[in-house]
Parts: sequence; C-alpha cells; structure tokens
Amino acid sequence: MTRYLLRRLLFALPTLLAVLTLVFVLVRVVPGDPALVIMGDQATAEALRELRAKLGLDQPIWRQYVVFMTQVLGGDLGRSLITNRPILTDVAAVLPFTLELTIAALLIGIAGGVPLGVVAARRRDGFGDWVARIVSLVGLSFPAFVSAILMLLAFAIHFQWFPVISRGWPMTEPVERLRSLALPAFNLGLIMIAYVTRVTRSGMLKALSEDYVRTARAKGVPARVVVWRHGLRNVLIPIVTVIGLYFGVLIGNSVLTEIVFNRPGLGKLIIGALEKRDYSMLQGLMVIYAFIIVLVNLITDLAYGVVDPRVKAT
Amino acid sequence: MRHFWTSVASVSVLAIALAAPAHAQKILTIGMSAPDIGQVDPHKATSTQDKPTTSWAFNGLVRFKPGSGDLAGLEPDLAEKWTKSADGLVWTFTLRKGVKFHRGFGELTADDVVFSLNRAADSKASSFSSDYASFAKVEALDPLTVRITLKAPVPSLLGLVANFHGGNIVSKKAVEQLGEDFKLKAVGTGPFMVDEYKPKESLTFVANKDYFRGAPKIDKIVYRFIQADAARDLAFQSGELDVIYGRQDQKWVERIKTMPNVVADVVRPAELTMLHFNMAQKPLDDIRVRRAIATAVDRRQIVSFLGELVAQPGRSVVPIGYLGFDDSNQVYGNGEFDKAKQMLAEAGYPNGVTIKMVQTSLPGMLSVAQVLQAQLKKANITIQFDVVDHQTFHANIRKDLSQMVYYSAARFPVADVYLTQFFHSRSIVNTPTASVNFSHCAVADAEIDGARVEQDPARQKALWSAAQKKISDNLCAIPLHEQLLAWARKSGVDYGYKFDAAMHLGPTITELTTIK
Repeated sequence: MTRYLLRRLLFALPTLLAVLTLVFVLVRVVPGDPALVIMGDQATAEALRELRAKLGLDQPIWRQYVVFMTQVLGGDLGRSLITNRPILTDVAAVLPFTLELTIAALLIGIAGGVPLGVVAARRRDGFGDWVARIVSLVGLSFPAFVSAILMLLAFAIHFQWFPVISRGWPMTEPVERLRSLALPAFNLGLIMIAYVTRVTRSGMLKALSEDYVRTARAKGVPARVVVWRHGLRNVLIPIVTVIGLYFGVLIGNSVLTEIVFNRPGLGKLIIGALEKRDYSMLQGLMVIYAFIIVLVNLITDLAYGVVDPRVKAT
Repeated sequence: MRHFWTSVASVSVLAIALAAPAHAQKILTIGMSAPDIGQVDPHKATSTQDKPTTSWAFNGLVRFKPGSGDLAGLEPDLAEKWTKSADGLVWTFTLRKGVKFHRGFGELTADDVVFSLNRAADSKASSFSSDYASFAKVEALDPLTVRITLKAPVPSLLGLVANFHGGNIVSKKAVEQLGEDFKLKAVGTGPFMVDEYKPKESLTFVANKDYFRGAPKIDKIVYRFIQADAARDLAFQSGELDVIYGRQDQKWVERIKTMPNVVADVVRPAELTMLHFNMAQKPLDDIRVRRAIATAVDRRQIVSFLGELVAQPGRSVVPIGYLGFDDSNQVYGNGEFDKAKQMLAEAGYPNGVTIKMVQTSLPGMLSVAQVLQAQLKKANITIQFDVVDHQTFHANIRKDLSQMVYYSAARFPVADVYLTQFFHSRSIVNTPTASVNFSHCAVADAEIDGARVEQDPARQKALWSAAQKKISDNLCAIPLHEQLLAWARKSGVDYGYKFDAAMHLGPTITELTTIK
C-alpha cells in the first residue's frame, strides 16, 4: 500500500514539473511590467530599470527559469514580486477559506445530488425526475457569478437572512461563520448538485435494469433495500469519479464565488496577482492548484478501493 | 436554595454588564474596489486603494484643506510657520511642539522630517523621488526647525511638503525598526493609526486619541476590499458599508441618488483624457492630418456618452484648476466632420487615413475610444484598434507602438508636472529618461523649464500659458474630457468638511468626521 502511494506520488512529479514550466512561460508571454505596477505610472525610466534589476527581471529568461526551478524544487515558492511577502505565508493565510468553501460545496453537492439522482431514476419521467432535471440544468447553465448575485438579492437584501460581505476572520464565531458560509457554499454547491444528480440518475437507471436487481425484486427484497444496496452501491464508482474530477472545476468556480461574495481566499489572491503581473505569486498559486488536483486524483483512486472491494490497490 | 438563585442572578447581571461595551463603538466601514491593499507607506502608495489611507494616518508640514485640492489654499499642518529666502532657494520651517507618533514611537522632531524628505527623494524607498530631484539639502537646525535648500527653484515647494505623496512625514524610528513591515504597519502622526490587517479582507484603523488637533469622534475605520462592483453596491444597500467607492458612471450616480438616506459625492481631481498624436510616425507627422483629426472629434458627444454628472469637456492640455491652467487657446473637438474631410483632402489624403492604435480592454476606456472611433469614421479616418489588456496597453504605449494614444491621468495640481511628463522632450517614450510623452512633443521645453524656476508668480503663469499655447497650436495632443470621481455615503456620515476634492482619491477621514 505504501509502495503504491509512493509510486503514485512519483508519477505526479512530472505532471507538476510540466505545469511549472507551462506557468513560467505563460505568465511571461503575457505583456505587462510588474515594475511599472509597483512604481506607478509616474516613475522614471531609470527607477524602473533599477527595480527590474532588483527583481531579477532583467536577467535572461533561461536564467530566471533556472533560479525559479531550483527554488521550487527546494520547497520554496519565493516571495511575491509586489508585496515581497513569502508566497507560502500569503497562501497559507487564505487557503483554509477556499478549502472550507469547496469542501462545504462538495458536501452540499453530494447530499443534494445523490438523493435527487436516485429519486429521478426511480420515478423516471415522473414529477421527481422533472424536478431533478431542472435543478441540474439550472446548476449547469447558470454562471456562478450570476446565481451568486441573484442569491444575494433574494436572501441578503430582500430577506436579510445572510450578510452580503462574508466574514472570513476571526475563526472563533461559529454561528457568524456558518451564516457567512451558507450562501457561497450553496452557490458553489449548485454546480456540484447538478453534476452528481446527472451521474447518479443515469447510473441508477442502468443499475436498476440489471438482472441482479430483477432477481432481488423477485426474491421479495424490500424496494428500499434494492435501491440503496443493490442499485446505489454499484453506481458509487462513477459518482466518486465525478466528484474527484469536478473538485477541480469547483476550485476554479470558487474564484468567481469568492469575488462576488467577497470571501478571502485563493480567488482574490489570483485575481490580484493577475492584475498586478505578480509573476512569482501566479507561479506559486499554479503550483498549489496543480498540487491540490494531483492530490485529489490520488484520493479518488484510493476511494475506489473503499467503495468497491473488487477494486484492489495493488 | 434562595441563596443559590440570588447568586446566579447577580452573576448573570454582572456578566451581562461586563460583556456590554462601555459605549457603542462608532465604526466607519468603507468599501473599496480592490482585491487587497498594497501598502500604507505614503512614499510608495501609488494605487487607488492605497492612497486614501495615507490621508488618515499621516500629516505633512502643510496640508490640503480636507475636501479641497487647491494648492493656493494649503494650511499649516505639522509646521506652525515658515519663511523663504528671496531667491526661493532656502525654506525654513518651525514645527509644532508636542506632536506624538502612533504606538509609542515618540515625539515628532526635526530629525523625522529630515529623514522623511530624504526618504521621499530616494528612488529606492520612494515612488515619487523625481519630484524631489531639486532638493539639495534638508537639515535639522534644532529639534523643532528644519531647513530645506534647493538646487533650483521649484514651482510649488509647499506642494512638495504637503500631506500628499512624498510630503507625508513618517517616524524615522519606526521605519528603521520595522523594515519591510513598515508597509502595512506604517507609523505617522495622523488622526487614525493602522491596526489589524486581514489579508484580502480588510485593514482596520483605530482612533489616535493623542492626535494634536484633538481625539477623533469616531473610534474605528474598517477599510474593506470588495472588488466586484455589484457586491459592493449590494453591501452598501444592505447597510453593511457606510461609504463606498463608486463607478465613474452616470447610471451609477443616478441610481445611488434614488436610494433613501444616501449621498453621492462627485468630486475632483478629475482625470484629464487626451488624445496624443505620435508625431514621429506617418501620417501624423503632418500637422494638417492632426488638425483634421482634431476637427472631427466631438467632445460634447463623448461627454454626453459618459454623462454630464461625471464628465466635462477638457479645455486645455492641462487639467482644469491646476496651478497655471490656461484655457484661452483654441480647443478643437467640435465634431466638424465635413470640414475635417476637406482638410484631409488638402493634406493629400482625399480617401482618408488609417491609424493604428493600441487600446486597453478596460471597459470604461474602451467604450469611449469606440465612440471616438465612430466619430472619426464619419470623416474618413479609420481607427484600427489593437485591443489588449490594461497592463499590456501600458507596456506597449511606452514602447512607442501606438500611432495615437488615448490616455487619462491626474497629477499633482500644478501645470509643471503635467507639462513636463507629457510634453517635455526629456519625457519622450522609449528613451532613457522616458515618461509619458507619447506624442514626441518638443516645442515648449524652454517655457516649461523656464516656468519651473521662475520666482515671480505672474511671469511663471505667463510661461505656462505660453507652453500650453505652443502645445495646442502644434497639436501634440488634444484634450477630450475630464472625468470626476464618484463616492457614496450614508447620510448619517458627516466628513466634517465640504467634500469637493479628493486629493487622495478617497475621502479624508479627520478627527471631525462623525457617523450617526
């Protein structure tokens, strides 16, 4: 098992390296000058040259690349070009908020999507099916920032149940924190509900038409047991796959959700870094995103073994 | 048993009494359009979100009256009085006694002033070093007296020691002790001091009870970073924010005005937008072509597109109201399309001309540039946009890649700065001393340089007028429009002054500001 884990992690390394190189090149292909951003548009050409030299931006690209790679491989993501704070410190300060949001959204997605999918499959073309299909269509077709503003208008402005500005800090007021988390998590969870519902529904439809289900029914096994044990258990593998796959989508969408609900998190960090051409921060963030995705894939693989004993980790 | 209940009751009463604050704190919450703050260090703060904070935490030797952007109205701040030599080269300031820096960093002395002004002039520590290039020496004569000696006279020395950019006085001890941390823990003498910073969320300022003009009437400022316009407006509507940064947009101002108990403040300084003609390139090297384009532009239409609540037509190549501003020159831009066509034909372009222009994708700027494009089309002038994101735009126009440059800027309110950066030959883009001279204009160097050192205010003004006339006549650039800043506040917020101008791009919060 440990060897399996190590091997998987080793396989992840080339992926990470490729991502690093790609990111390094991409951020530099985009024109723009971090020195100009730092000094403002009244800076003299001389001052800008000095600053570029200080930041190492006057070095040839290949040398910048070597410096960057050596740093990252040493476990150091460097410092932000703009704020000069260590990138890991900045990321660590907001990462919990992004994780909290995405995990809450994931749970909402599972808690909402699986039952909806099951109901839809059992009552194919019935009322429940229609509801499930509409919910999933809405979740898929609404951009996160549109549904976010609609939710704010309804629940924060009209009913005033929730605050417009999400409170990130401090971590010590659980009620206030949940109130702040509710709308953004549901907004993001809507997408997950949509995906999970679809997969569950189609999986269940297939499973419920299998021979073993007919056999179970013929044996007189109660309908509930047939659905949950014989049906759903066999659909878990595709559900877990979708959850793992779309965790990345969730993190991507969390950027938009964080901006609209004004939550601290990686979203604001990445938008700020893009606007300011903060190369080192962008690189650092991409490394972290890539790492999270690789990690989630690994967890997904391991989860297969748990939900389906036939899949053995070897 | 009765004892038990009595004690429970008294303990609860005590607990409630202890839990309730002595008095409700007066907190002013301000929503700013930004993902985060950059810094509060006044010598480096150049971004829109950073600048307002410098006016809460710092003082200069003199200051702009709160709510005013008038250089002629500067009043004593940390300095009580000052004298200048007849040639304008030596200035002596007497400091106010007993002014304390925030957080126990001691009393303000002449050493702090010397340190601050030298720091402002140091290109490694300051974004505004070029403004202080003519400073020869700043010295402390005694703990309360500072002498500034200049290499050459400057147009407004008081402006350079006002509570703006490099003129803000910082604590020497704090800068040396805090190092990099000074950025977000900056120590000044102002009515509010930097307190808690929550990354990507807010920066809190608390009242400086020892402020030399008296303790502030509000206890706290929470400066929140809310980038999405819609989210900021919604939070303002729900009452979670007291003051917000607004869109420079007619519709926004109109909508805010319909909300109950809300005041919209549309204030100066305005950003002047000009169209710069790259005279180093064909066909714009021909003044007849430049004149034809200038004749075809319709400033009124641009202003009505932007909305008359937030925009005005530009009247000179220097923004309205700057020291030295002169609007007696001919201003083009009245939308005379047929006349423009005829002018082009006379210049040898009967079929019109095509101009390539690097343009930002920033919606506010792009939409106006598109209006301009449509206007010029009517005079057979085709504009081909190379639309790029805002940072790329800034980089490419500085590489001399655009035939015309549509550029908006506000500067220190003295003609010298604007004229030097945009029209002095030293500032031509893509040169070692480059600034923002996109037009390669070099016709008024003598007047600009002369005015800078002229001691007689009348003669100085005449030189600035002459410079504006030469630049206008030569059509290096034409003024299009000026755009004002928009802020909104709950009517319970009283800044304590009339809010006409925001030199720091946001409202100055003073000891007199109150909130109901």
